[in-house]
Amino acid sequence: MNIGFIGLGGMGQPMAEHLLAAGHTLTVWARRPASADFLLERGARWAESPAAMARACEIVCTNVTGSADVESLAAQLITALKPGSVHLDFSTIAPQAARELSRRYAEKGVDFVDAPVSGGTAGARAATLAIMWGGKSALAERLDPLFACLGKTIVHAGASGAGQVAKACNQLVMVAAIEATAEAARLAAAAGVDFAKVRQALQGGSAGSRVLEFFGAKMAARDFAPGVVARLHHKDFVMVMAEATRQGVPLPVGATVMQQLDGLMAAGWGTEDTSRLLCVLERARPAHLI
Amino acid sequence: MNIGFIGLGLMGRPLALHLARAGHALHLWARRPASLEPFKDVDARAHVSAAAVARHAEIIFVMVADAPDVRAVALEEDGIASGARPGLIVVDMSTINPNAAREIGAELAAKGIEFLDAPVSGGEIGAINAALTIMVGGKPEVFEKVKPLFETMGKSITLIGASGAGQVAKACNQILTGVGVAAVAEAFNFAAKSGVDPARVREALLGGFAYSKILENHGQRMLDRNFKPGFKAWMHQKDLRIVMEEAHRLGLMLPSAAATAQLFNAIVGSGMGEEDSVAALKLLERISAPEQ
Repeated sequence: MNIGFIGLGGMGQPMAEHLLAAGHTLTVWARRPASADFLLERGARWAESPAAMARACEIVCTNVTGSADVESLAAQLITALKPGSVHLDFSTIAPQAARELSRRYAEKGVDFVDAPVSGGTAGARAATLAIMWGGKSALAERLDPLFACLGKTIVHAGASGAGQVAKACNQLVMVAAIEATAEAARLAAAAGVDFAKVRQALQGGSAGSRVLEFFGAKMAARDFAPGVVARLHHKDFVMVMAEATRQGVPLPVGATVMQQLDGLMAAGWGTEDTSRLLCVLERARPAHLI
Repeated sequence: MNIGFIGLGLMGRPLALHLARAGHALHLWARRPASLEPFKDVDARAHVSAAAVARHAEIIFVMVADAPDVRAVALEEDGIASGARPGLIVVDMSTINPNAAREIGAELAAKGIEFLDAPVSGGEIGAINAALTIMVGGKPEVFEKVKPLFETMGKSITLIGASGAGQVAKACNQILTGVGVAAVAEAFNFAAKSGVDPARVREALLGGFAYSKILENHGQRMLDRNFKPGFKAWMHQKDLRIVMEEAHRLGLMLPSAAATAQLFNAIVGSGMGEEDSVAALKLLERISAPEQ
C-alpha cells in the first residue's frame, strides 16, 4: 500500500519503520528534513510537501503533538487527498477536535480516523502498542493489517472521536495512578519507612500495577529522567478536564491530579519524568520538616 | 455622543438603556430583532451589521457570552473592524479568557482601534440599578475617555492595569464567588445533616468573621429554596473554565477553584445549568443522601 507518514519523533519513527519493514511503500515529509534521514536511508521516499504526499498516498498517517498541529496539517492535506483515502492520526488530541476534523473530511469523501496509542517509545519500537481508534467500523478491513504491524492490542472504540475518548480515559487512569504512587512514596518517607521496600511488598498484592512497577521504581531511585516528558501528560490532562467540562461530568480526582500537574509545571519540571509529582508533594511539605 | 451597543441580553439591555437616558444616541445591532423592542422609545437606531454600527459610533460596547462571540463581533466578516473609523474605541464588557482579551486587543490595535476589557460584577440587579462593579484593562487615556459612560452603569469603576487586566480581576472575582457559593452550600448542608437549622447558623455567622455578601444574599436564597437566576450556573461553570484554562496555561495551582469547577460541572451536567449557582446546595443534598 502507498502510505505517507508525518511526525517522525520518538514514537513516529519506529512506527513508520515497522510499516516500511512490512513491505509498504512509505513516503515521508518533515518540517526538519534531517529527521527523515533514517527512514530515507532505508528506502522511504521524500515528499516535497504534505499536499504532495497526499496526492501520492491512499493513507496518510500523522503523529504530532497537539490539536493545533493536526489541524494545520489537515488544512494542507484536505485539498489534495483523493476521495476514498484516509487520514490516520495517531496523535493524542481533543476528542472534539477529532470529531470536527472527521466532519470536515467527510465533505470531501475522505475518512479521518483518530487512533491514539499507549505504550510509549518502548512500545512503539517493540510494536506492542495499544491502539484505540475511532471511525467507521467498515474501515477495519483496510486498517487492521497496518495496526497489526504497530501494536498488540487493537480496539475499535466507536465512531469518530471515540479513540480520543478512550485515550483520555487511559491518561486519567494512568496519571492518577502515578499521583497515588507519589503520595504513597511521600507517606512512607514521612513515616520513616523505605518506599523501595513498600513498593516491593505492594507489587505482590492487590495494589500491584504497571505504574507502581515503572514509576514507583523511578521514585524510589529518585530518577527523574524522562520516559514520557511530564509536559505531554500535562497537555493530555488539560484535554481530559476540558472534555469533562464539555460533558458536564465531575472528575474530582482528575481535577486534583490536574492541580498537581500544574504544580509540576510551575516548578519547571515539564521536560522531566512525570514521577516528579513526588517532588510537588515534597514542596508542599519539605523534607527538612520531616 | 454616538455610542454603539452590541449584545442586548439580560445584562446588556439595561446598560444600553442607561446610556440612552444619559442623552447619548444609540446605534444597535442584534441577531434577534426582538432584542431591539425595549429601545422603541429612546434615541436608538438599528443597523444591519456590527460593521454598520462601527460606521456611526465613536465608542462601541460589547456584552456577549464568550471569547469566540467577541472575536466574531469585533474581527470577523461584517464585524466592527471592517466598518471602523480611526480612533474608534471598543469596550468589551463580556467575561472572557484574559489571554483572548489581550489577543483581540492587539489585533484591533493593529487596525488603529482602541480596546478596553471591562468585565462587570453585580448581576442583572446591579445592571438595572446602575450599581455594577466594573474592572478595566487598557490604556489610561482611553479609560479616561470612557469613564463618564462607565459612571452611568456602575458604582465602583477601577482601572486595574494593562490590556487583559480587567479579565484577570474578573477571574479572581469568579474564584471568590464560585468557591464562596460552594462553601456556603457545604456549610448549610453540613448544618442540616447535623440536625441544626441552617437559618440560625447563618444568622449567627453574619455577625462574625465568616460574614460575606455571599453568606448574606446567596445564603438567604438557599434558605428560601429560591433557585431562580440571578446568575446562571452554566455561566459560573464557563467562568471557572476560563479560570482553570489560565491556571493550566500559567502552570498554577488553584486547588479550591479546581474542586469547585467540578461541582459546577456536576450541576450543569445534572440539568440545573439554567438555575442560579445556589443550586449547588441541591446537588450537595442529592449526593450526600442515600440512593433511592
